Amino acid sequence: MRAAALLLAMLAAPAQAAWEWSEAVTVNSVQGAAIFPHLESANRQGVAVSGDSVGVVWEDNRDGTPQCYLAIKPGAAAEFQPEIRLSQSACYEPVVLALGAGRFAAAWEEAGSVHARVWPGGSASRLTTGEAAQVTLAAGAGKVYAAWAEQAGRFRRIVVARLALAADTLGVETARPVEAKAPSDEQGWPALAVAGDGSVTVAWEDRRDRHTVPLVSHSRDGRRFSPPARLTDHKSGSVGGLGAGTGAMRPTLAAWGPRGVAAVWLDKRDFLSGYDVYAAFDPGKRRFGKNLRVQDSFGDNMAQWHAQVVGDASGRLVAVWDDERDGTPDVWLADWNGKAFADNVAVPAAAGPGAQSDPVAALDAAGRLHVVWLDRDGQAATRIRYARAERR
Amino acid sequence: MNLIKTVVAASCLWASAALADPPPGYPFVGFDAGLAAARASGKPIFLYFGRYGCAWCDHTNKKTFSDAALKKLYTANYELVYVDAESGKRLTLPSGERITEAELGARLKAFATPLFVYLTPQGDKIVQIPGFKTVQDFRDYDRYVRGGHYKQKTLLEFLGGKS
Repeated sequence: MRAAALLLAMLAAPAQAAWEWSEAVTVNSVQGAAIFPHLESANRQGVAVSGDSVGVVWEDNRDGTPQCYLAIKPGAAAEFQPEIRLSQSACYEPVVLALGAGRFAAAWEEAGSVHARVWPGGSASRLTTGEAAQVTLAAGAGKVYAAWAEQAGRFRRIVVARLALAADTLGVETARPVEAKAPSDEQGWPALAVAGDGSVTVAWEDRRDRHTVPLVSHSRDGRRFSPPARLTDHKSGSVGGLGAGTGAMRPTLAAWGPRGVAAVWLDKRDFLSGYDVYAAFDPGKRRFGKNLRVQDSFGDNMAQWHAQVVGDASGRLVAVWDDERDGTPDVWLADWNGKAFADNVAVPAAAGPGAQSDPVAALDAAGRLHVVWLDRDGQAATRIRYARAERR
Repeated sequence: MNLIKTVVAASCLWASAALADPPPGYPFVGFDAGLAAARASGKPIFLYFGRYGCAWCDHTNKKTFSDAALKKLYTANYELVYVDAESGKRLTLPSGERITEAELGARLKAFATPLFVYLTPQGDKIVQIPGFKTVQDFRDYDRYVRGGHYKQKTLLEFLGGKS
């Protein structure tokens, strides 16, 4: 028995040696049994690192209605400062973007439209006039972009905007739908990435083929977009005249390497084991290649949830998600080793008894990995937890 | 009058499309409306967790829910709720937590669609059953739920006894 345990420990050691983790700290200062924080957002952009400060956004109902909050941890601080409320009325799915030098931009859905604010110092501004939701942000080559799902007749469609920052207020410089034609079915959950060459990639969920398929489009200038292409290389359709195809949802994107973009999403091509985490890469040709399964064999026969990819210009790339392979929801990650995703590793403080789920992550300029997740322990209050990892 | 009929017909078409893939002709509603209706009526909830474009959901709709007697049984005795497994539409759980329809899949630990969930009128889960099921299966589940057998037996125990 001891020999088997030693063997298992030796087998696990190389994977676990990759990251050295800080102590986890709690982000949300107000908790309660009937307070429900959420980290869900388009492109799962709930954490960003600006200078040496960490910003985390979320939504919770402590005030009786869903409101969005931002908490900052300055680099020298051990704890997060008390959060500030971003919204005035019902707020959902906030995202945060690093602007550099300790500044952040946050965006969110409030009362059916998209709002944004720069912190510190800025005030909230409304970015959309029509009904819009599921906003996400990206920056690169000195420009800031937003994408959201905007009502266009019967369905929502994806709009990409270039934002202007003046006097600490974000405004819309240009806003264009990815496709000029009216949507024929629902579009939503956009993800944005600005590659090293300044080009913009947008991916989203699309139902035009009568099932949910992540589509992707590219633009050199953020104004004119290429015709949408499928992110998935899995060809599915109706089976014997039944249904329309398997589902894939919640695409996330990250700029990666000198000119590349990486994508990760939830995919139900193996429809008997729930959603799996799949990835694809565009090395700079503005075309995504073969799909790769991210989770390892130990996670294969169960559902994965809440997947996200984070990358940086040096080529680091990490996928995070949660699954229940060890009996309860834990947060898992997989490093890209240049050829494949490595064996899955649990985030130590986000594993074990209770439910640790809904991870969001960011890589900072030094390559450190910042992970935030929800921690639920039975009937107790839900905590938002944060930990940072450095490569050994 | 014709205009009213046209508007009503268009609304039905829109409602049908917006709900994705529930079986046609059944009065399925969203989660919040169904929970409110169940609290008012005292009927249990039959929750159909389906996916847009799901072949097995389509198969179940055509082979099983097309049965007129089953339709009558479930329409009369349940509040019928349809949830779209990949939708960002919001719903409020009995706890007061607001989540998306897709997130409900994570909470139910759904691994396949269709998934059928029976709930008390207060929204507490009685039993959940994944995959294609026959008319007789749904008649058995109805007896298990409305007969109150779930209070004493698991569904497998009940079906083994076929009481």
